[in-house]
Amino acid sequence: MAVANTEHEQGVHPSHVARYALVWVALLVLTFATWGLSRYHIPGVWGVAVALGIAVTKSALVALFFMHLWDQAGANRLVFATSLVFVALLIVIVLSDNATRFPLANPPGSEGALPVGATDYQVAPLSAPRGAGHER
Amino acid sequence: MSEATGIAVPSFLAHHFESLEKQQHAARLGMWLFLATEVLLFAALFAAYAVYRYLFTAEFAEASRHLETWIGLVNTIVLVTSSFTVAMGFEQAGRGNGKGTRLLFALSVLLACVFLGFKYVEYAHHFHAGELPGRFYTSREIAGPGGPLFFTLYFLITGLHGIHVVIGMTVLAVVGLRAGRGAYTREYHVPVELAGLYWHLVDLIWIFVFPLIYLV
Repeated sequence: MAVANTEHEQGVHPSHVARYALVWVALLVLTFATWGLSRYHIPGVWGVAVALGIAVTKSALVALFFMHLWDQAGANRLVFATSLVFVALLIVIVLSDNATRFPLANPPGSEGALPVGATDYQVAPLSAPRGAGHER
Repeated sequence: MSEATGIAVPSFLAHHFESLEKQQHAARLGMWLFLATEVLLFAALFAAYAVYRYLFTAEFAEASRHLETWIGLVNTIVLVTSSFTVAMGFEQAGRGNGKGTRLLFALSVLLACVFLGFKYVEYAHHFHAGELPGRFYTSREIAGPGGPLFFTLYFLITGLHGIHVVIGMTVLAVVGLRAGRGAYTREYHVPVELAGLYWHLVDLIWIFVFPLIYLV
């Protein structure tokens, strides 16, 4: 280790073994934490909030230390941060649209695609045109 | 290898770059731009997931109980560990130890095989139980469109992620073999870094898949 560090004085890149190991242990601990907490069935929206909070923490660890955003040029951080902004925009806007609609205006899911009685898997002859029913 | 800097470095430098440093910055930035598009690709699926989980909350919780949580947990541990071995492989490349990179990347590919093995067990189970997307859903466990929708999103998200695992394995294998043959040096090992970045992204996406799909 010591030898490696003096070599890196010349500026290739510093040794990160301890950092990687620490992040790995933290990721394992958080994985077990999210699994353990899910067994308590935290009520309402808090369950998914806790799960997503832990997932965001874990992914921040991966992005900052495994992917080296912690000590990299600003442009790379900006690109990644921008993509995250657009992820948030997409999910928040789409979700708030559906959440604030008159309930019956929401999409019926695959309801239209399924005949009454739920299963057309074996019943349907292969030649029958079923494109129209599938789309709706 | 790394001692002969005067000979090794210019051979990596493409003629349209001023210096190797600028070339590496450009390569890294290009990779991050690509990763951003990957994030957005998965974001579309997660947005669909968010909408249908909101509309079919009870059905999604019920359908998620049909998944083997322990497989999801083990696969998360496997992927996180493979990310760690890839990071260590990059560390070895930084020391000019191509053989070490090859060993650690081979270990990562092995872990990825374990991941896909568990995925196969899961998929086989769902095929037998008739828990398939859309109109192919023949299980009678969950009434209404919530069940088929959950399994549509399940197969789309884990399937797309699985394709990324296979691509990542291929990239790691190729770069690992090249590193073992001494294709990179202590000063220039950007391909090792970029292959690692791709693998970490695959891990990053699974970090969200695990709580959202398995732990509803």
